Amino acid sequence: MQTSELLNSYSVDPGTWDEMYSDLSVRGQYRGVVNFMQQMSIEELNKKEELAKRLFMSQGITFTVYSSGEGIEKIFPFDIIPRIITATEWKYIEEGIKQRLKALNLFLKDVYSNQFILKDGIVPVEMVYSCPHYLREMHGFHVPHDLYVHIAGIDLIRDHDGTFYILEDNLRTPSGVSYMLENREITKRIFPDLLPNNNVRSVTDYPNILHKNLVSLSPRQTSHPTVVVLTPGIYNSAYFEHTTLARLMGVELVEGRDLLIDNHRVFMKTTAGLQQVDVIYRRVDDEFLDPLVFNPDSMLGVAGIMSAYRKGNVAIVNAIGNGVADDKAIYTYVPAMIRYYLNEEPILKNVPTYQLGHPDEREHVFTNMQKMVIKRTNESGGYGMLMGHSASDEEISKYKMEILKDPRQFIAQPIISLSSAPCYMNGRLKPRRVDLRPYALCGPEGIQIVPGGLTRVALREGSLVVNSSQGGGSKDTWVLAG
Amino acid sequence: MLSRVADSLYWMSRYMERADGILRMLKINYASSQDDVQEFSWMPVLRIFTYMDEEGAGKISQNTRAVLQYMVTDRENSNSVLNIITHARENARSVQDHITKELWQCLNDFYHLVRDEKLNRDLHKEDPVSILDVLIKQGMLYFGTLDVTMARGEGYAFINIGKYLERGVQSADILDVKFSDLRYDFRNTDTTYWKYLLLSISGYELYLKTYRSGFDARNVVEQIVLNDEFPRSVLYSVDRVHRYFERLKSERNNESFQKIDFMIGRILSKVRYSTVESIMALGLHAYLIGIKEDLYEVGNALNQNYFAYT
Repeated sequence: MQTSELLNSYSVDPGTWDEMYSDLSVRGQYRGVVNFMQQMSIEELNKKEELAKRLFMSQGITFTVYSSGEGIEKIFPFDIIPRIITATEWKYIEEGIKQRLKALNLFLKDVYSNQFILKDGIVPVEMVYSCPHYLREMHGFHVPHDLYVHIAGIDLIRDHDGTFYILEDNLRTPSGVSYMLENREITKRIFPDLLPNNNVRSVTDYPNILHKNLVSLSPRQTSHPTVVVLTPGIYNSAYFEHTTLARLMGVELVEGRDLLIDNHRVFMKTTAGLQQVDVIYRRVDDEFLDPLVFNPDSMLGVAGIMSAYRKGNVAIVNAIGNGVADDKAIYTYVPAMIRYYLNEEPILKNVPTYQLGHPDEREHVFTNMQKMVIKRTNESGGYGMLMGHSASDEEISKYKMEILKDPRQFIAQPIISLSSAPCYMNGRLKPRRVDLRPYALCGPEGIQIVPGGLTRVALREGSLVVNSSQGGGSKDTWVLAG
Repeated sequence: MLSRVADSLYWMSRYMERADGILRMLKINYASSQDDVQEFSWMPVLRIFTYMDEEGAGKISQNTRAVLQYMVTDRENSNSVLNIITHARENARSVQDHITKELWQCLNDFYHLVRDEKLNRDLHKEDPVSILDVLIKQGMLYFGTLDVTMARGEGYAFINIGKYLERGVQSADILDVKFSDLRYDFRNTDTTYWKYLLLSISGYELYLKTYRSGFDARNVVEQIVLNDEFPRSVLYSVDRVHRYFERLKSERNNESFQKIDFMIGRILSKVRYSTVESIMALGLHAYLIGIKEDLYEVGNALNQNYFAYT
């Protein structure tokens, strides 16, 4: 089969925004890639796909699935066709995310100190206090530079008319940025010259900006503060990412057992004795960080680290207790926060969200279950959710029972169709649904967003769930310059 | 450097050296099994390199293919090349930010290679030498990549300490078991026997150049224990351990350093000022056991003073 045929056989799902095609013509931003692919045979494209797989495997960009006592290495599926974002779209996304993060950071500061937003009735008090991620331990504690969110991954989706919506804010330990970086490296290898010819903006600055921000947070006045990345260890599914970030920043990757607390200071155990640690970029969840304060069974954390943090002897990134701001129920109030704190209209829209804790809204959702996606407020990764259009009556009634047990823990959203992008599958181009997660870095000098991000793809036909745990893959994400 | 990182680098290196030793030894013993008109047995190999009991070893000691599979790709054998490489890789994986990307990829490729089902099948029906060669070459790629890309810092010192400790123990082991096979009879002049022993540790050519009067068990002992130009000799290995350990000298950990430096220095002197005669007087077995115990002591001391992190 010829590649021209490959492109002709591409058919977009009705009522869906496609990133590449509009009214059966190729959008401007995709022309370079389409022309390039038309010069290639199917055999060549298959070879490129093969090469991509081999590169991921060889570099150990894999996660391990344990079955029958033996680890099997799997690669996170990668689609060779990039997802392309125009300069105009990017400018809009960038402004929207910056605005949102500014408000969310102010919210965290407020909710852990004066709580003006609760007193003014903008966010209901019970919403905050019933959130399991609201940590009283953080109340009244001033974090350095009033910065709570240092690294954020904001999930965006596009409705049928191309409008961007915020699906989720990830303000705790957002993952996936190593795939943004590695996917780009793979594209460089499999499609030589394609990136410069298409005027694609570079993402390689990410680790440098992150490192600069981390250094600037050091509580000790020293020219070379000790910055570390704290990982749960090699069995964590994001371990590859932790080691990549440590390597690219040139800092030490530590586990909880490498650290100890002495006199409210954090030290790491080195071959030359103890060395004080100034800044910790932790990839361990709040709950496991300090067995003395949180989960007493945690083996991943460091006993006493919370006291060192509260004394101001160590900076922890992201701040502890951020979960109250990216809770799926609090999400509903983010547009109100933007108006309240910034006196601005939100640039990026929220997906309309119903609180199932609210009787009227719950009633509305229960009568329209088929059109809704229902999520647990404290779950992520696509776990524990119900897609109303594809669930059986039995599943729906079972789920309703679950909801009635503790309605606060659930929200519902109308099913948004998600935009599609072309994927190369078995010698054919198929439309598959995508989302977008750009990564924002917030330092004392402001918010920077590397032009790019992670595009996740629902590889199963018709699926709207892009999470990797649910059969999702990813694409290299291009942001075009001017 | 983090203690945990030093520990992992040290063990990554020991495992890689062990895998290399096993693969070379298998290759030469295989050649020997094809050459030897007398009854060739894999017994000494199984005794040095596996935890198999005498009975289990006896069952497969005449079956070359079974031994090769057990030693290379068997998942149950904790000392199979497959499992050793898996351990090396797990250690490397946890210190990826301390080894070069090239080194990590090389080790990772080795891991995928040795776990390939096809390799296991080929080991059963194709020419074993070709397959062992592929694995040995992947190992050489590791050693070369290490040499060319790794910074000469603390990590490099721990890697080399691990490597040469392992090598010293391995050479002592091979010699001891081969002689025990002969019941320490030094009058054995069977050319084939000594030739394959030397070949298995890449010392055959050197032997021919050093000793021109045919095969003598004493000369074999001299080369494998005392020749400081032979890179697999006990003396050379201990000397390297000593040399790389010296690089760890620092103000901050002086007490530990002095203690271990003294231990290594004493072993080095012990080997350097031995002669074949003094070894024979003590008894080869007792001598080798003593050296091995000394080397294990160094390993324990490193563990206590440099790697302790739990």
